[in-house]
Amino acid sequence: MPSTIRVFVARRILTMNASLPVATHVAVREGRILGFGGAEVLREFGTVEVDDRFAGRVLMPGFIEGHGHAVDGLMWRKPYVGFYPRRAPDGTHVAGLKSIAEVVARLQEVERLMTDPDAPVVAWGFDPIFFDGPRMTTADLDSISTHRMVMIGHVSGHIQNVNTRVLEAAGFSRDSNLDGLVRDANGALTGELQGPAVMGRASRAVGDPGILRAIDAPALWDYARIAQRVGVTTSTDLANALNAENVAALQEATTGAGFPLRLVPAMRAREYSLPEGLARIADLKRMSHDKLHFGIVKLVVDGSIQGFTARLRWPGYHNGAPNGLFYIAPSELGEIVAAYHAAGHQLHIHTNGDEASELATEMVGRAIAAHPRADHRHTLQHCQMADAAIFKRMAAFGMCVNLFANHIWYWGEQHRALTMGPSRANRLDACATALAAGVPLGIHSDVPVTPLDPLFTAWCAVNRITPAGRVLGAGERITVPQALYAITMGAATTLKMDHLIGSVDVGKYADFAVLEQDPNDVPASEIKDVGVCGTVLGGVPGVA
Amino acid sequence: MNPIPLSVIGGFLGAGKTTLVNHLLATARRRYGVLVNDFGAINIDAALITAQDGDTIALTNGCVCCSIGDDLGDALARLAARVPAPEHVIVEASGVSDPWRIAQLALIETGFTLEPLLVMVDATAFLTQLADRYIGDTVARQLGFAELVVINKADLAPDLEAVCAAVLRLRPEAQIVVCEHARLDAAVLHFTPPPRPPASRFSADVPDHAFPTSVWRPSGPLDRARLRTALEALPRSVLRVKGFCQLAPENRWHLLQYAAERWAFTPLDTTPEAGLVVIGTPGMPEAATLFAAVEA
Ligand SMILES: [Zn+2]
Repeated sequence: MPSTIRVFVARRILTMNASLPVATHVAVREGRILGFGGAEVLREFGTVEVDDRFAGRVLMPGFIEGHGHAVDGLMWRKPYVGFYPRRAPDGTHVAGLKSIAEVVARLQEVERLMTDPDAPVVAWGFDPIFFDGPRMTTADLDSISTHRMVMIGHVSGHIQNVNTRVLEAAGFSRDSNLDGLVRDANGALTGELQGPAVMGRASRAVGDPGILRAIDAPALWDYARIAQRVGVTTSTDLANALNAENVAALQEATTGAGFPLRLVPAMRAREYSLPEGLARIADLKRMSHDKLHFGIVKLVVDGSIQGFTARLRWPGYHNGAPNGLFYIAPSELGEIVAAYHAAGHQLHIHTNGDEASELATEMVGRAIAAHPRADHRHTLQHCQMADAAIFKRMAAFGMCVNLFANHIWYWGEQHRALTMGPSRANRLDACATALAAGVPLGIHSDVPVTPLDPLFTAWCAVNRITPAGRVLGAGERITVPQALYAITMGAATTLKMDHLIGSVDVGKYADFAVLEQDPNDVPASEIKDVGVCGTVLGGVPGVA
Repeated sequence: MNPIPLSVIGGFLGAGKTTLVNHLLATARRRYGVLVNDFGAINIDAALITAQDGDTIALTNGCVCCSIGDDLGDALARLAARVPAPEHVIVEASGVSDPWRIAQLALIETGFTLEPLLVMVDATAFLTQLADRYIGDTVARQLGFAELVVINKADLAPDLEAVCAAVLRLRPEAQIVVCEHARLDAAVLHFTPPPRPPASRFSADVPDHAFPTSVWRPSGPLDRARLRTALEALPRSVLRVKGFCQLAPENRWHLLQYAAERWAFTPLDTTPEAGLVVIGTPGMPEAATLFAAVEA
């Protein structure tokens, strides 16, 4: 029996395909696009089923998150206390909390409803950057509970606040004079902990592994639901150890009936010795299927700019903070890049500071010189401070970039004031320069660091506005069509999946984002507000 | 329970940290618990291995070797909980990390006492590394709080004196030990080396290192604020202060551990013998002088 052909009729379909940029009909068979165009599509394939549920909607190729972390699905098991509203996996709108008092009140409520008398109160997503007045202290958290442990993770992932009970359990006191314990003017501990050493000790005292907990299939389902609601049909999980347990969870989730997302996990190279890693990624590639695409490999060269652990070129941090240290020695980076490159794999290399980006580019250049290979598409992830010279070299070497456009809104003011200063902050996530240099461009959220929402990410790249109303580097703004390309074909290109996803074309997966409006029809300052109704994945509609 | 001595070994990639760890494990006279970053690089003679289980290797001589994983504190706790517990724990810092950030953690671990921070230097590469635009500052920063600097591959260095001079310029307070092939006696792991065993083909003839020590015995409970002021004022010639004291007004016993301008008091439920041991460079003042103002 021949498979059914279904034709979706939409008000408009933005195809991201130069051969026919706008269509109204798309025919789907076996989860793939069979044809697209105007009403003639209805007659092209004989008997078809017409599906006009999107007659009033606009379809785009499903959005692609080129740098996300599926651990976001796990976060929601704890209360969210961030500044910005966010949507939970079940679709609930969770309000943003605009003051310390609101955070405390929310967690007092959580505490009242807890049944286990000894369980800790653990929350995530705290973001005090925009709060005026004093910082959160143990007094605030002690008002939630003095007998329970209370621990709040900041959205950046580099800071925690804890109550007195946790300080005691961790053995931190006024007389612990260690790096990472924040003090008030009188020398007393405020309960703010900075950096992995003191945070790790506190987490152990609380007995909550936080994001170090292994991700399971239900968490992956939750992540997929979050993605579906913002029009994402393919997301990376960047990165994952991809041990047997991780892979089992990924297989369980992605083979589940109706799993609404394609996942592209990156293997964390440093989990393995070189020979083991090369063997592991080759094995993993053989386990790929329609909704699970193994093959990319992740490397981390430096830390974060706002955590002052990124590796910057001269003159370093604007506020004089010491430069971050490389997470990997340059020679080791060169060895690992060369080995994966020679074996034919694609690397996704985390670089935040410009020196890290420059070094990674240099090492890719050396690997190419030693082992010429076309179309490797090694991609720098974040690459937030790169300048025109770095982008030009990247283009010459055939590299791609995935810029962290959301940073312009979330940390742009901080970068201007503290980390980079006004001059360099103008080139933060320089999308226009990357495109001008000819580097294939993706833009990303790094969810859960910022919320997953490609239209918001596109809005950041198009407007480059900060919460203070300032435009950071007006010349680096890109157009709405360029930004829409970046969240579809651009991201697909960085994943070497542009033959499968990212545009409407015959043979590609029938993956769509379903929108209320055409983002080209609204002012550029409003594209983040275009409503997303859900997705179509492999021809199967899913409602947000 | 006596605290377990803890040694942190730092130094840039290629300085010989792993070779030293392998050497210490192969020649061990105590039960070492070793934590390493790069588990794959540990190359232990297969004949010595009794069991390997995921990230832990057990050796016939009672030593164990584990991967640090994501949380050093957790790895330390797991080592201390082993039966029998290791007699000495060695942490091999990653080749690009600042070993002092790791060593600091030990100040709040009551179960451990921090031995000299050992930083290894590759005598053949050090001067080039210091001049390298990418890694020069990392290599210099690794030496910032080093207490024992091991200059390795000394036999191959074209200008050993220049290497020693560069080390001392970066860290005048450090003691220097020179060696080849990372062959060192376990004595380097201690401020106060235990009596030497008879020479064997495994132990090289290590030049003596000596860290002067001096003890101060408070006559009674101490005032926290005054003690804190004294600690803040300690000169750089003081490398360590460790010991027990009572703190007023509760008069509770505390363990004090100090290293390189960082310290922690940890309350105890036991009644130890009062006394602070101060370890430093040859120029260090007497402990009683350093803490004179505390009891004034
Ligand atoms: Zn990330």
